[in-house]
This record gives sequence, C-alpha cells and structure tokens, in this order.
Amino acid sequence: MSDVLREQESALDVNVLRQAIQEEYNEVASHPHKGFHFHTGRPLARILEYQDEWLEGIPESCIESFAGTGNPFSLGELSSGERIVDVGCGAGIDSLIAAKKVGPNGRVIGVDMTSSMLKKSRRAAEEAELKNVQFREGYAEALPVDDGWADVVISNGVLNLMPDKAAALEEMNRVLKPGGRLQIGDILVQKAVPESAKRKIDLWTG
Amino acid sequence: MAAGFVGFEITWRKDVFGGAPQAGSAEKFGTLGINFRARKAANQDEWTAALEALRCKIPVDGTEEARA
Repeated sequence: MSDVLREQESALDVNVLRQAIQEEYNEVASHPHKGFHFHTGRPLARILEYQDEWLEGIPESCIESFAGTGNPFSLGELSSGERIVDVGCGAGIDSLIAAKKVGPNGRVIGVDMTSSMLKKSRRAAEEAELKNVQFREGYAEALPVDDGWADVVISNGVLNLMPDKAAALEEMNRVLKPGGRLQIGDILVQKAVPESAKRKIDLWTG
Repeated sequence: MAAGFVGFEITWRKDVFGGAPQAGSAEKFGTLGINFRARKAANQDEWTAALEALRCKIPVDGTEEARA
C-alpha cells in the first residue's frame, strides 16, 4: 500500500468505493442502454474516434457495454506478436481490438474486478473466435500478470476510478518490459477538486 | 513522470461527457477525456537522466540574489 492510499484511507473507505464502482459497472454490463452520466457503446466509440474497421467482428454484446473515456489505439500502433495488458478491461472491447491487432502470435490479458464484465468479455472472445486473449479477475493495484511480461499496457477510463493511482501506475510499470509503452485513455479535471469532495463516493462514480 | 515512466505526453483532450443521458456530479470540475502515453525507462541510466532533467533552481525571495 502506498503512502497516498494510507493518507486517503482515513478519509475514504476504499472497500466502499470499490463496491460502489462495481455496482455502477454491473449496471453497465447488465443494462447498457439504461442511460448513464457517460456515453456508452457505438455512439461513444464514434466520439472517441474509434475506426469502424477496429469493431468489425466484435460482438455487439461487448460493444454495447463500452464505457471508455479515450482511445489507447490512437497513441501508437500495436504490432503483430506483441503482448498487451488491458487494465480494467470491462466488457472487453479494447482487449478484443488489441487481440485482432497483435494477431495469433501476440497475446492479450484483460484484467477487471467486476465479475459481470468478465463474463461478458469471455463470452465475446469466444464468439469472436479470438484465442489469443485471456481475461483475469483482479485489481489494477495488484495485477495478476508476471513481471516484465507486456510490451504495451493499455487502459481506458479506469485510472480515475483508482483510489491509489500511484500503486496502479507502479503495477503497470512492473508488468511492462524495459522500454515498454503505456497507452492510456482517461480523464482530467480542469478545476481543483477540494479534499472534502474527494470523500464523496458519488463523485467518484458519477 | 511517475513510477519509472519517461516521455509522458497528453496527445488529445475532448469533452466526452457532453450530451450524456444523465448529468454527472463531476461536471462542475470541468472533466475532459484525454489520451496520454509514456514509456517505461529502458534502464536505470535512462531513469536517472530523466530525474536529473527535472532538477531546476527555484528563485525564492530572501536569497542572496534577491537581497543584492
């Protein structure tokens, strides 16, 4: 646990926060058309400038639960044979796009803490007949991936939900090879968030 | 720069929440979607050089130069 998290723990119950985030994303998995405070699915993919060809062959059940905030694939090409870790993979859209890009000699590991999302991602990989992708349950702050395994770590709309961002970045660094790339879509705030506001769970999830 | 990464760069920012079905409580802080990239330092020498490049002198009132 990093010093940052220790300082926050007195103000924010990390387990309560994780539970609230899981509940929110369970809803995105099971009721993707409900209407959230963020866009989802294909309309979101267009906003984030995903290319139509990337989505070819990816099951709609996976695309409809897409809830990213950026475009990791715009930050650098994924090459044939590379190994990719997708942190907070959700229903698996970015993992499946990555699996198509790296081809049969590449490997992708998607990691998520929400069981309903993992269920969707595994089913989508089967439907898409992509055998070079595997989904694992875990937290960004403790990735179930070996040291130095990955050429590239991608993530999309996840780091902002991490109470301990420093620990998550340290884990991303640990699983990357020396010289490995970090390609992240996330959010920033243009106005300072008061400490009191950081303790409000609904601000983290909404 | 954090956790041994070098070459941090934000390449894109955009209002990705505008027009969403529900209003978000974080909107008042001006949330934007971004893309950023960085690279894990290739070795300790590169990491040390990156840290060294961040060093700078910070002028502070009350220094010898300010009093002169």
